[in-house]
Amino acid sequence: MISKLKKTVIYWLLLAPLVIVILFPFAVMFVTAVRPREELFVYPPRWTFSQFRWDNFVDMWVKTNFGGALLNSLYVSVSATVLALLFSIPAAYALSRYRFPGKGLYRNFLLMTQMMSPIVLVLGLFRLMVAFGLVNNLNSLVITYAAFNMAFTIWMLQSYFNTIPRELEEAAWMDGASHYFSLVKIFLPLAVPAMVVTAIFTFINSWNEFVLALTMIRSNDDFTLPVMIFSQVAGRYQIEWHHVMAATVLATVPVAIVFSWLQRYLIRGMALGAVK
Amino acid sequence: MKSALRSTPLLMIVPSLLLAMFIIGYPIIDLAWTSLQEVSRFGQLRGFNGWDNFAEVFSDPLFYGSLWRTVIWTVAVVGGTLLLSLPIALILNDEFYGRGLARVIIMLPWAISLTMTAVVWRWGLNGRAGLLNATLMDLHLIAEPVEWLATAPMAFATEILIGILVSIPFTTTIFLGGLSSMPQDAYEASMVDGAKRWDQLRYLTLPLMRPFINIAIVLNVIYVFNSLPIIWVMTEGGPANGTDILVTYLYKLAFRFGQLGKASAISLIMFGVLLVFTIIYVVMVMRAEDDGGAAGEASK
Repeated sequence: MISKLKKTVIYWLLLAPLVIVILFPFAVMFVTAVRPREELFVYPPRWTFSQFRWDNFVDMWVKTNFGGALLNSLYVSVSATVLALLFSIPAAYALSRYRFPGKGLYRNFLLMTQMMSPIVLVLGLFRLMVAFGLVNNLNSLVITYAAFNMAFTIWMLQSYFNTIPRELEEAAWMDGASHYFSLVKIFLPLAVPAMVVTAIFTFINSWNEFVLALTMIRSNDDFTLPVMIFSQVAGRYQIEWHHVMAATVLATVPVAIVFSWLQRYLIRGMALGAVK
Repeated sequence: MKSALRSTPLLMIVPSLLLAMFIIGYPIIDLAWTSLQEVSRFGQLRGFNGWDNFAEVFSDPLFYGSLWRTVIWTVAVVGGTLLLSLPIALILNDEFYGRGLARVIIMLPWAISLTMTAVVWRWGLNGRAGLLNATLMDLHLIAEPVEWLATAPMAFATEILIGILVSIPFTTTIFLGGLSSMPQDAYEASMVDGAKRWDQLRYLTLPLMRPFINIAIVLNVIYVFNSLPIIWVMTEGGPANGTDILVTYLYKLAFRFGQLGKASAISLIMFGVLLVFTIIYVVMVMRAEDDGGAAGEASK
């Protein structure tokens, strides 16, 4: 048996190259975000710089309309998450607790929708939103994000619902409780952790989505964060890289922290659902 | 009463079914309809033109170029990801000091939108002031800055490497899920029989991981095949269409050149390819369930 200490050293050495490559963009972000503008293009290129310019964040906030994009992203991600959960909770409950005709078919349909990526449908979706007059309207993103996340949310919720013992509800029915009562008072409270975890992953997916937001949203005022940041680098003669990096720091770090804290639930979900 | 109970589950799934039909089903039908018509720049349908749009796609050298690069992109990213993710998952599944931290770091790229990752790398790889050049020059690996994204082959190779990097977390997660559901008693039995760690890996872990590896392959193929942001943000398919894959080419045709008929034809072709992979996936999941069920019953 190899000692744990020896294993630790070997493993970290093996992982080191990957860890460096993963952390490299974060370092690039921070170092550029706080760098004085004059020191962006120096020759030879170097990591060091003369002083921390925290004002970059303030300048960026004003110049890029960061606050507006932040609110748009929050609105879209929260609404899409709520909508997705409202549609998914009953469906997941039905899959977890009932036998019904067409159950297998419905699950296969969900798997299929999970595989359909927005990009292949983007032209059709755009035409759909034009027909409904929803282009340049954030609600077009709310509906589409909810729909594209539903397969994932239903699958996650179902795999957790399956772990909640059926006997608890049955005991309540024995005691004369109605199905509705047992659902609201017994089942749903137990399912809260699962719903929170699922909600956060849906939120992050929506927060990070790019293609649909790029397509449906045409005016600067309605940009979500990824599109706003993209618009700062796309087709510009002069890119204000220190502003771009300041914006990416603010847009990514909070999400990355929440995600890091929750990633083990994803692994557990995968093990529970055995990759369904 | 009984019939009311029976319809309950159906009522519970109907809303999700309708939403999916509306947002995912309808556009497919619309694309099929559009692909058979002549379409103006502004999206007006001008009547059927048979298979003209498809004929135009199949006589377009840029389509074949993009198709070929899509194959390279998908195979290289998925292959690279799997080769790296399996050892990573095996390491992360073992006990060592700082495992929690290692897991967090390796999952990090997943938390960040591909758009942001691509923007940051585009700057990090900047030919003049990029910090990758700074690092390599500090280490005396290169004498002067390299223009990473200026030529198509180099840019494409770089994009593939970044594609691998961002696909590792998801794939590792699938493998970790698989490893954590491995039957411990089988390992104990093999230890009693005097199996070496290497033998365990080869004859026990890998065969048991087969279903997870298969699913990781199919899911990654689907995701990577569809992935736009990395290439779009870093090079927009350029220089001179040299890094265009089908999705970037499709996006340009639809939203930049206004060739909507041709774009919907390509969408439909891609949909067909996706459908094939999806059916493979669905069949695999169903088979895994059957096996799982059988194994579960056998162990009782």
